[in-house]
Amino acid sequence: MTRALVLYAHPCPESYSAALRARTVEALRGRGWEVDDCDLHAEGFDPVLSAAERRGYHEAGANEAPVAGYVQRLRAAQALVMVFPVWNYGYPAILKGFLDRVFLPGVSFDLVDGAVRPALTHVRRLAAVTTYGGDRVRAALAGDPPRRHFLRSVRHVCRPERTRYLALYGMNLAGDARREAFLARVGREMGAL
Amino acid sequence: MVYAHPDPGSFSAAVLATVTAGLDARGAEVRVRDLYAEGFEPRLSAEELSRYLDEGPNRASAAREIADLEWCDTLIFVYPTWWYGLPAMLKGWLDRVMVPGVAFRLPPPEGGAIRPGLRNVTTLAAFTSGGASRWLTALMGAPGRRTLLRGVRSCCARGCRTAFAMHYGMDRSTDESRAAHLRRVARKVAAL
Repeated sequence: MTRALVLYAHPCPESYSAALRARTVEALRGRGWEVDDCDLHAEGFDPVLSAAERRGYHEAGANEAPVAGYVQRLRAAQALVMVFPVWNYGYPAILKGFLDRVFLPGVSFDLVDGAVRPALTHVRRLAAVTTYGGDRVRAALAGDPPRRHFLRSVRHVCRPERTRYLALYGMNLAGDARREAFLARVGREMGAL
Repeated sequence: MVYAHPDPGSFSAAVLATVTAGLDARGAEVRVRDLYAEGFEPRLSAEELSRYLDEGPNRASAAREIADLEWCDTLIFVYPTWWYGLPAMLKGWLDRVMVPGVAFRLPPPEGGAIRPGLRNVTTLAAFTSGGASRWLTALMGAPGRRTLLRGVRSCCARGCRTAFAMHYGMDRSTDESRAAHLRRVARKVAAL
C-alpha cells in the first residue's frame, strides 16, 4: 500500500479544517504514504452534475469522461481520507458533488441485477476527519447523517480493512485545548492508518 | 419550493409539476426556485465564510433565497436522491442560505444551545426518488431524508409538521409505479 488520496473540502486556508488537512497529510507522509493532496476548492472542482452527465450516468466507461482525471486519482488510491467540516448536517456541497460526479457506476460500484456491488475495493484504508459546529447530542438527534453516510454508504463500496471516523463535535464552543487535542489525535490516528 | 434536477424531462420534474398543481388547487401562494435553471452556485466561498458569523452582512450573497425562506410558512424540497443524499446543488443551497441569524441562532461564547431561526416554517416536506431500494436506503440510514426532516426541521417552528414521499428503485420503475407515486405525492400535498 503506497498511495493515499486526501480529499479536502474547505475554502479557507486559515481554517481549522486546513490545519486538520495539513496534519493528516504530514502524518500519512511520515508513515511512508505517497499522498495525493486534493484541495477541491483550489482545484476549482465543479460539484454540479449536469443534465448530460445525468443522462449518461449508467453508461459505465463513457460516464467517466467528464471527470476522467479524478477517476484516475481515485482508482490509484489504497487509502481514501476525506477532510471536511460538517455544514447543516451534511458534507459541504463541493464534497457531496465529488460523490455525485466521480463515484460513478463502474467506478465506485457496479450494478449487477439491480444490486450494488462494491468497486472501490482497492481502498484498504478509509478515514474521515471532520468537525461539527454543534455538540454530539444535537447531531445525534438528527441521526448524524454525515457519520451514517460515511460509515455505511462510502464504506459499503470500499469494504476497507480499517475505517476511522474522527470527529470534533461542538466546534462553536471548543477552546484551544480541545482543538489542539483533536489535532494531536488526528496526527496519531493518521500515522497508524 | 426548492427544486434541484438538471433534466426537464426527469421524473423529478413530474413530481414538481404534481406538487405545484396541488398547491395551486389549494390556493397557496407559491415561489419555486429551480436551482439548475437559475444556475445557482452551491459552493460556499472563502469570501462568504469570512463573514459567515456576521449576522446581517452574511445575508448579502444569498439575499433573495433568504427572503424566500423568511417569507414562507411551508418549505418543500423536490429532488432526486443521489448517493443516498441530496444533490450537491441542493446541499449547497443549505450551506449558503441556512446561515446564522437566518436558520439558527448561535449560542453566546459562554455556552448554551443553538436555537431555531425559521420559526415561520410550520410545515416541511421532501419529495424525492432514487435508484436504491427501500431496504438498501434504510440500511444506509437514509442520510438525505435525515438531513432535511431532522436537521432542517430542528431550525423550524416548534412542532413543525413534516411530509415525505420517495419512489425507491427507480431503475426498475414502471409507468404504473411512477403514476402511483405521483398520486401519493398529490395526496400528501392535499394533506399538508
